[in-house]
Amino acid sequence: MYEDTRYSVNAQVVERHGEAWRLIATPGAFWSGAERVQMVAEARAATVCRLCTRRKAALSPFAVDGEHDAVSDLPPVLIDMIHRLRTDPGRYTRTVFDAVLVAGISRERYIEAVSVVNAAVIVDTMHASLGLPLPDLPTPEPGAPTGQPAPDVVDDGAWVPLTRTDDRTATVTGLPGAPNIARSMGCVPSAVALFFTAFRGHYALRDIPLTVSQAQAEFVASRVSALNQCFY
Amino acid sequence: MLLRASGQRENRDYNLNAVNEGDSDPGVDHASHLRLLTETAIEGRWEELAAIRDAATAAMGEQAMVDTLTVAAGFNGITRVADATGIPLDPTTQQVTGSMRAQTGIDAFDYAAKSAQYDLNDRHQQPARHA
Repeated sequence: MYEDTRYSVNAQVVERHGEAWRLIATPGAFWSGAERVQMVAEARAATVCRLCTRRKAALSPFAVDGEHDAVSDLPPVLIDMIHRLRTDPGRYTRTVFDAVLVAGISRERYIEAVSVVNAAVIVDTMHASLGLPLPDLPTPEPGAPTGQPAPDVVDDGAWVPLTRTDDRTATVTGLPGAPNIARSMGCVPSAVALFFTAFRGHYALRDIPLTVSQAQAEFVASRVSALNQCFY
Repeated sequence: MLLRASGQRENRDYNLNAVNEGDSDPGVDHASHLRLLTETAIEGRWEELAAIRDAATAAMGEQAMVDTLTVAAGFNGITRVADATGIPLDPTTQQVTGSMRAQTGIDAFDYAAKSAQYDLNDRHQQPARHA
């Protein structure tokens, strides 16, 4: 990735995006490599989906019915979830999560999908921001989902159980050592690993290893949070 | 939301309202370019972004322009993880950022507030069919 750009992308970002792409194509704990690649394709399709465009313009994203311009044979409820998460995260509510569960998709499968889609969002946003074509979808590796040992999680006020932690003390940044965002996908440890493989080179809580200052990075991060109406 | 923490470390007073107010100056260097780069990228206005990248490069240098977009791209993903898992604020985060959240209007993004605003109560949502 990033071979054909005149811009100098942080080396850690380049390396980690390549690794994230490889991981997406491998069988996960609950979805096959082919299904995971389909999730990325679906997230991309969402950006030009006519139903998503109409929903985005509506006062409520739940006020408009119709058919997504889908490109996969993933379960319809998952396609709907992926399109909403990709195109309208600020108005994504628990109703979407509940609909996925009601359709018989486990919270673990939901978490894994969240990780795959959002790792791809990072990779695709970086490419598009630099005027680069999106990378080709990775070739799925064969094999069934791997399953996983029971994770050590606890109900802690989120829609999903969080990684158990006893570390509640504030660090020098004012955030706890194990913030909830790092615990949020604890139901599926491999999903945590995938997402943070894609994310880690993009930010640090202090002494950010980029040419922007920490304050500049915090302003950008805060502005993105506001644009995506992110409470956390 | 660590802009205030950065200000405290640097002994500077950043304008937190700029996070949610489109025309406020946060007080960080090259704020207008940071804002334009970020907003255009997150809103996916790719055709406009080329000229905005060039202007930012002239003002702040190419690497800083690229790194601004690097931070924005990362947060375009991680905010969606939070949005999709409904995680509450950590108690320490709540303590540290409570007044700032009220000041900047971030409390309006609370999950319950979003549900109250966007969910339709008279018909439970059905997933869309797919073509």
